Amino acid sequence: MSNSVRVESPLYHADLPGLAKLSGNPSENCGVTLREAKLLGHLNLRGNANDDAFLNGVKQALGLNLPTAPCSSAQNDKALVMWLSPDEWLIIVEGGLEAEIEAELRQTLSGHFAVSDISGAQTMLELSGEDCLNLLKKSIGYDLHLDSFPVGKVIGTAFAQSGAHIRRTGEKSFQLIVRRSFSDYIWLWLQHSSKEYGLAIVD
Amino acid sequence: MKQINRIGSVGNTDASRIDRNKAFTFTFNDKSYQGFEGDTLASALLANGVDVVGRSFKYSRPRGIITADAQEPNAIFQIGSTQATTIPNPRATQTELYNGLTATSTNGWPNVDFDLMGTLGKLGGGMMPPGFYYKTFMFPQSLWMTYEKLIRKGAGLGCSPQQPDPDSYDKMHHHCDVMIVGAGPAGLSAALAAARTGARVIIADEQNEFGGSLLCSKQLIDGDSPQKWLFETITELADNDQVTLLPRSTVFGYYDHNYLGINERRTDHLGENLAEISSRQRVHKVRAKQVILATGAHERPLVYGNNDVPGCMLASSVSTYINRYAVVPGNTLALMTSNDYAYQTALDWHDAGRKVCVIADTRPHSNGERIRLAAERGIKILFGHAVIDVKGSKRVSSVNIAPLNEAGNTLTGDTSRYTCDTVASSGGWSPVIHLSSHTGSRPVWQEDIQGFVPGETTQEQNICGGLQGVYSLAKVLSDGFNTGAQAAQKAGKGQGQYDGAIPKTNDLNESPAMAIYHIPHHQPTSRAPKQFVDYQNDVTAAGIELANREGFESIEHVKRYTALGFGTDQGKLGNINGMAITANFLNKTIPETGTTIFRPMYTPTTFGALAGSDVKHLFDPARFSAMHKWHLDNGAEFEDVGQWKRPWYFPQSGESMEQTLQRECLATRNSVGILDASTLGKIDIQGKDAREFLNRVYTNPWSKLAPGKCRYGVMCKEDGMVFDDGVTACINDNRFIMTTTTGGAAGVLQWLELWHQTEWPELEVYFSTVTDHWSTMTISGPNSRKVLQKLTDTDVNNDNFRYMDWIEAEVAGVKARIFRISFTGELSFEINVQANYGMHTWEVVMAAGEEFNITPYGTETMHILRAEKGFIIVGQDTDGSVTPQDLDMNWVVGKKKEFSYLGKRSWTRFDNQRNDRKQMVGLKPKDPTFVLPEGAQIVFDKDQPIPMTMVGHVTSSYFSACLGYSFALAVVKGGLDRKGQSVYLPLADGTTIEAEICSSVFYDPKGDRQNV
Repeated sequence: MSNSVRVESPLYHADLPGLAKLSGNPSENCGVTLREAKLLGHLNLRGNANDDAFLNGVKQALGLNLPTAPCSSAQNDKALVMWLSPDEWLIIVEGGLEAEIEAELRQTLSGHFAVSDISGAQTMLELSGEDCLNLLKKSIGYDLHLDSFPVGKVIGTAFAQSGAHIRRTGEKSFQLIVRRSFSDYIWLWLQHSSKEYGLAIVD
Repeated sequence: MKQINRIGSVGNTDASRIDRNKAFTFTFNDKSYQGFEGDTLASALLANGVDVVGRSFKYSRPRGIITADAQEPNAIFQIGSTQATTIPNPRATQTELYNGLTATSTNGWPNVDFDLMGTLGKLGGGMMPPGFYYKTFMFPQSLWMTYEKLIRKGAGLGCSPQQPDPDSYDKMHHHCDVMIVGAGPAGLSAALAAARTGARVIIADEQNEFGGSLLCSKQLIDGDSPQKWLFETITELADNDQVTLLPRSTVFGYYDHNYLGINERRTDHLGENLAEISSRQRVHKVRAKQVILATGAHERPLVYGNNDVPGCMLASSVSTYINRYAVVPGNTLALMTSNDYAYQTALDWHDAGRKVCVIADTRPHSNGERIRLAAERGIKILFGHAVIDVKGSKRVSSVNIAPLNEAGNTLTGDTSRYTCDTVASSGGWSPVIHLSSHTGSRPVWQEDIQGFVPGETTQEQNICGGLQGVYSLAKVLSDGFNTGAQAAQKAGKGQGQYDGAIPKTNDLNESPAMAIYHIPHHQPTSRAPKQFVDYQNDVTAAGIELANREGFESIEHVKRYTALGFGTDQGKLGNINGMAITANFLNKTIPETGTTIFRPMYTPTTFGALAGSDVKHLFDPARFSAMHKWHLDNGAEFEDVGQWKRPWYFPQSGESMEQTLQRECLATRNSVGILDASTLGKIDIQGKDAREFLNRVYTNPWSKLAPGKCRYGVMCKEDGMVFDDGVTACINDNRFIMTTTTGGAAGVLQWLELWHQTEWPELEVYFSTVTDHWSTMTISGPNSRKVLQKLTDTDVNNDNFRYMDWIEAEVAGVKARIFRISFTGELSFEINVQANYGMHTWEVVMAAGEEFNITPYGTETMHILRAEKGFIIVGQDTDGSVTPQDLDMNWVVGKKKEFSYLGKRSWTRFDNQRNDRKQMVGLKPKDPTFVLPEGAQIVFDKDQPIPMTMVGHVTSSYFSACLGYSFALAVVKGGLDRKGQSVYLPLADGTTIEAEICSSVFYDPKGDRQNV
């Protein structure tokens, strides 16, 4: 695509980079830190987790074992894979590589499977900070205790009145996958709900 | 103003919970008073000697503060200084004092001391016997609204705020092993035991600080003041990061699966307009593995004559005011009790330096230690006596005491009068069973404690302390520790045995209490001075007996007849006494008259708290396309389609909506228009059986649709009625992309999954939503190809890119899928790009179209253009009762498909084969400028008498700038055979419009324009 093409992530209109400059040093006085991990490649993969050929094909394409345990995830240099349902995974790769990875998957997989490029359909938000657990307690009904939601776990759940897939990346850090058309609502919700803790934006 | 009833600290230690160094000023009914931090509004009013706080509902009698807790029926105020911040009906006993607090009585119009209703009230009482709710207000029903206004004005149940709420509210979700309700001695010891196992514990209490009964107790624990044990306990809990402490948090509801609702008051105790600091209230939604109810017990008053005169109070509340708030609410006390424990009130009163004139003990005798302590202080004790009535109007002036037989139902001698200003009474204690009964558990009467306790439950519910009728502190503490350990074990933590030390305390020996509720009088109940049972609704013992005499025997019926328990207090104070009076009158036991069940909310909860943050712009999620900002910048008006905000039309300055639509339509028909169609649902269908699956869910066939081709399809439900429609394109033999209506997208995906998962799991096919992935812009009109060709190197002329084809091409430097399909009837291209490039592409298309005056249009112009072509909109022209045949769309119904398909069989039903079904037709009004109202009913004979036989209605109606006349789509019975005939539309304004039935295709019937 030509160089003059402008690309806009779902939260482009919120000017997060501009807000990040205003935020200054996020560690001070802010209980919640938000970053849009924007313009990544998102692929939706469907297939039979009991089919060895399918699992091997994915491994060949991505270089990792498909996480087949419910709510699990796997990651290597090439891809982050989240289990979404017994026959559905989200593959996240570097932005721009999605077509290449999709082609690789189509080459290594056979039989019944599906791959859909959904890179425009959603965005990843990274939440962290002392109070991000409180913020999530306001937003979702899931039990956030490390016993029930350990690092690496992925859940799909109602987020306020929208939905999100949430992966825990640390004791106090999470990745949220939200749909493009709902991202403005989620952005408003996050601002409102983190007001008492202080919200810092990082670019 | 002087706090005449505030007592000083005793010695060097101030055991009260007020901070005398922090004085607050507040106003009540426009008068200014002083109080201290730690006061409730009630304790501050009592400290200032305010006797009358309101007027009663029916009789307009002066009323004073009776309790110190959630039971309070009288001190119910309007609190807040502005119409935005005013709060109706909080209980002064549960309202923490803050500087500047403004309160007024809710009842007592025009004011509590001089009340116009006072004299009316006496009359009104006679005119409003119990049951007036039914007798008076059900007839005539049309006047109910008038009555209601009068009653509300006179009785006052508070006023709703007249201005928007400046506060914010939110909610939080929690999970825990053990949820403890109530932080008195039982709840706190349970929390300690549970927390020491490592369990995740939440403990909530409605009061401003934890401690419950210990906050007003002097009973030593481990040889020290109870405050010390409290401090140590709360510190240990607060230091445990597995424990969440929620003070000022009322557990308002207990729901199935150990789900509890809690309202935390975060700024109510600090003042008004604190939205910048925090949400005003927060609802905590807790899912607990185990629940421990440690809600304690409420004291019951005794029912005696004129027991509502200010100065008549609950015995324990008097002790609370003395010990916790350093307020003695009077000078001379008469105490009436059926039990030993209430003697404590006389002891506290005496020790505060004021006079106890008499203790009337309804029992023949007692050997309890408190009796000895009272006697040692020289307090006069009359066994076998009761206060039968009270003299005074705005404050008690004396009491009449008479001897009582052993059963407590007959007076056995003459009355003697004692001068006093305060009457404390105690009829024993009622466990606070409200929460346990929220989940449907029927309370059980326990004779030995004369109270209901929680019955069997299906919840993981544990109870301890006063709630199960265990009242002595030593037992309460050990019960709490054991229950806490057991609940933790049931939640998977600890051994179930509490093996730590249980604090030691000495309970005084007590003699048994007497079961007595209603004090007899020399007069029969009906003639005795009024004996109030439910203060808030002015229900008297005489009223209950009248209900019984009229045949209401079940307590549920008695409640509805008398309004017993119908107030905002849900009868916390009066229900048991009311049941006892009914039982006695009917010669039954209390459990035989029924049980008393409570529902959420435990105490009234503000609507704001329940709404939480889901208000204003967060009320409902709004969905936006990637081009939304462009629409905003270009002046679009928006329309809600599902949750989407879609451009409705794009007015230019000075244009009316009508003018805008005409301009947009003509521009599209004559040159080129552009529509943001991103909101249409898009489903990526993959798998070798994808084609077969389409055959089964669509009415038309898909077997021969070649890669690179598109086809319009209609979906029906099993009943044969149209449910969704859209264009589906074949990407390759194993892959199709389906589009759905904007509002139907989620429903269609669910529908496909439902049929795949439950009926046809053998078909190899996967569905994935890609709605949000694609931004879709439709350019439509004779110049659309020229615009497109400027943006792509791919040849898009008619030979290479046919109608109903799709191609992959680069548009504006972006990889795109272009569908040559048309919803306007014009030459039309739907450009789809990955949504991150949507705005860029749109802007480039707009620039390229400038020379052709490319005109953005919204949903309204889209509706007009498609209606001119007779294209339906599912949900507007159909309503779930319309078949494809009704729509004259037999061409979309497959005749030779191998496998059957959804809806097909239902078309053979007799009803679906009638000739007189409502069928889709066009209508041309005889007056070509008149636009028929959508929804207008259609008749064949305009002269028939009313009620007319209605034969159909208008589904879509517009003025067409292209055609130069108005037109409509309509469903008319047998309409397809009536083309050329006139129908009539009688309108609401009395006029009748004539229109001619015609083909539903008004524009370019052969479809030449889209094929060029």
